[in-house]
Amino acid sequence: MPFAELPPLKIHYQQSGSGPDVILLHGFTSNLSIWMFGGVMEGLAANYRVTAVDMRGHGASSITADGYTSDVISADLRRLMDHLQIERAALLGHSFGGVVAIHTATEAPDRVVAAILSDAYFPGLRSLEPNMGQASVWQSLRETLLQVDTDIGPQVDFPYLFSVVGNWGDDQRRHLREQLGPIGERWLSSLVRLARTTAGVDTFATAGLDEERIASTSVPVLALYDEHSPFTKTSEFLRTRLADCKQHVIPQANHLAPLENPTAMVEATRTFLAELGY
Amino acid sequence: MASRTAILADLQEILSDFQGRTYDDPIDEETMFFQDLGFASIDAVVLGETLEQHFQTKLDFNPFLKDLAARNAKDLSVGDLVDFLHRSL
Repeated sequence: MPFAELPPLKIHYQQSGSGPDVILLHGFTSNLSIWMFGGVMEGLAANYRVTAVDMRGHGASSITADGYTSDVISADLRRLMDHLQIERAALLGHSFGGVVAIHTATEAPDRVVAAILSDAYFPGLRSLEPNMGQASVWQSLRETLLQVDTDIGPQVDFPYLFSVVGNWGDDQRRHLREQLGPIGERWLSSLVRLARTTAGVDTFATAGLDEERIASTSVPVLALYDEHSPFTKTSEFLRTRLADCKQHVIPQANHLAPLENPTAMVEATRTFLAELGY
Repeated sequence: MASRTAILADLQEILSDFQGRTYDDPIDEETMFFQDLGFASIDAVVLGETLEQHFQTKLDFNPFLKDLAARNAKDLSVGDLVDFLHRSL
């Protein structure tokens, strides 16, 4: 089983393909399976050695009580790269995974060939995204949960969501399965695990990655934002302020491009990396 | 090629104690991974790794998961997995 022993962590990963290294970083509350179910991993493995990682506290990796800010997760990533003897890689990060990618690119630019950001929201750019709290993905989840008599509120609030999930009874879980299907219900139920950690707060901490530091990113960046992204101002910031940033819109996607339009994501990534000669 | 019966028996053995969970009800081809066995998406990936280890062979499990999602399938039955393994082994 592909686990890296990085005491006190046990990090789960998967590798596929051969060639230059590409590392896939999932978002908050997700796991590496998002890259398999959509086919992004398979698509990129035709040209690259692709490594998909479960962040601490997510998927099959071990959990810690704290340590979920982007600086800590970036340090975990570099330890994993050392363990797997990956000197340099292109990083493709979805949502919070994109924050980790930029944190790594600014901390260790010699180890990052390029960063591809899929609809990333940066806590350090929160002033640009005053509507983040009402992100449409959250509103959609809110509407679903209202049907099982649960209101998670109009503002993105993961600690509250975690506490709500932990208090559901069997009847509510059954109704949720009917609303979301068993896969969706299982995703929500799995959040109970993170409720016992500081992840819900840490993920939204700037952790040193402020506006100035993001703007200082020197590696090539592809800002891969979704057609219906809630974070268009972030995408514009990246395009105009970074030294080397291309912008590309993923059609028919609303924050979940790895599942909603994986074909476009793979194509844009391959084209971008090929233009870099990678 | 392994028989469907043998594959099902292997799956029943693997799933009887998987990821720290045990199941009291009998597992047959109608059993659903997410609905009945309480799988989360990551469990499907870990099961693929477990099966590769068990059968000592590389399986095209990622394309299998991709096809599942592409069909917008709401769940996966043990019988679906037996079919896949029967084709693959």
